[in-house]
Amino acid sequence: MTDSQSQRAGDPLLRIESLRKSYGAGHPVLQGVDFETYAGERIVVIGPSGGGKSTLLRVIMGLEDIDEGLITFKGRNYVSAAGGRTRIDAGIRRSIGMVFQHYTLFPHLNVMRNLVLAPCKVNHETRASATKRGLALLERFGLAEKAGAYPSQLSGGQKQRVAIVRALMMDPTLMLFDEVTSALDPELVAEVEQVILQLTGQDLPMVIVTHDIWFAKRIASRVLFCDGGRIVEDGPPEQVLSNPKTERARDFVTRVYHANG
Amino acid sequence: MGYAYDFDAILRNFGPLLNGLELSLEIAIAANAIAIALGFLIALMLLSRSWLLRLPATAFVEFFRCTPFLVQIFWFFYCVPLLFNVFLSSRALGILALGLILSSFNAEAFRGAVQAVPREQIDAGVALGLSPWRRVVHIIFPAALRLAIPVLLTNGILAFQTSSLLSLVAVEELMFNAKMLSSKIYRPIETFTVVALIYFAISLPISQLVNWFERRRAAAEG
Repeated sequence: MTDSQSQRAGDPLLRIESLRKSYGAGHPVLQGVDFETYAGERIVVIGPSGGGKSTLLRVIMGLEDIDEGLITFKGRNYVSAAGGRTRIDAGIRRSIGMVFQHYTLFPHLNVMRNLVLAPCKVNHETRASATKRGLALLERFGLAEKAGAYPSQLSGGQKQRVAIVRALMMDPTLMLFDEVTSALDPELVAEVEQVILQLTGQDLPMVIVTHDIWFAKRIASRVLFCDGGRIVEDGPPEQVLSNPKTERARDFVTRVYHANG
Repeated sequence: MGYAYDFDAILRNFGPLLNGLELSLEIAIAANAIAIALGFLIALMLLSRSWLLRLPATAFVEFFRCTPFLVQIFWFFYCVPLLFNVFLSSRALGILALGLILSSFNAEAFRGAVQAVPREQIDAGVALGLSPWRRVVHIIFPAALRLAIPVLLTNGILAFQTSSLLSLVAVEELMFNAKMLSSKIYRPIETFTVVALIYFAISLPISQLVNWFERRRAAAEG
């Protein structure tokens, strides 16, 4: 365990124990992942492509079967593997929100109906109340005039901002961001990152997979370096991003820094 | 040829043709409504992980695809009442027969469309907490319907035209009334030309609509 973990107080929000997953035989993606997250933490996961970052996030979202391991959420079993079957607690899953790399707004619904669908159908909130909350959130992120627009009428950056608002509509206790700016044109990246930075004010725990080192530095309270299906480094951003302990992480950070100029 | 055309005779007897057309359209529209819902459900069964669902769906699709329409229609009209001891009106049997035939074709169209719904759309539904059934209703069906619309319309026209086969089991639709009229006024050329034009006039705009959908999609993808 690293020094940063031993300093934390309180019970973990998320606890991941010896998580293993492979895509078919001979394609291991996660090869024994262990870590805990605590309230208020903003964790950025970095690492080379194919290192298991996105799969890790998808497992936490309850989108993937696992081979071995256990994930608990606030002390309750959330994802577990037994007898070749994966059990996922759907109630806990509902308290986690996720934004994906590609635009996942439902194309046949306008922005507002994208926002209110889950609150109305899952939480049985009234349409009026959900719409009111939706408008307030859209306003907060400068999207109020887009409430009636269809996804095809939005820019890539606007789509991702709406996708973030849609996830927030469910009042998640943990937010996951999976390379949400990777598919965007460079000039649109900042507006999406800005929205995520705005969320840091309300202490919402997050796990973020990103290739943007600048953004990682600004948002992270803790950085994990993931490679070969394992967490190779785990520590505060200034350590992992500026002064990594392992050769692999140092290599990666140097290369990405150069790539980003 | 010294044939003297007499289209007036048709115009004077247009009533039965219109009545027949009304029933043809009614049967075709009802069959399409059944087949959009049932076709989608069968497509979901075809894509199911459980063979208990896959097997009957596959049998259903293959049965309709591998036997002639006319045999299917005869089977419905002569065998269903005897086997199941149900006696439906010929209109209801016609809708049922055509609806099931069309369902098997629509199932194939929906199967491709459901597979083409982006995985992340469905993942987003999971992340939002939507139950499997709500994901089907609110995400997969609308997306698949949009993707499948050109094929569904093409199948829909085909069902309208196939409804003419019901004339052979005495359903008083357009073709049946045309045959009656032609033997009554001895004007087969005029009667069947007019009937062909009626089928054509109704099918052509829908066929054009299919072209429009495909052009629009090509433009959107281009």
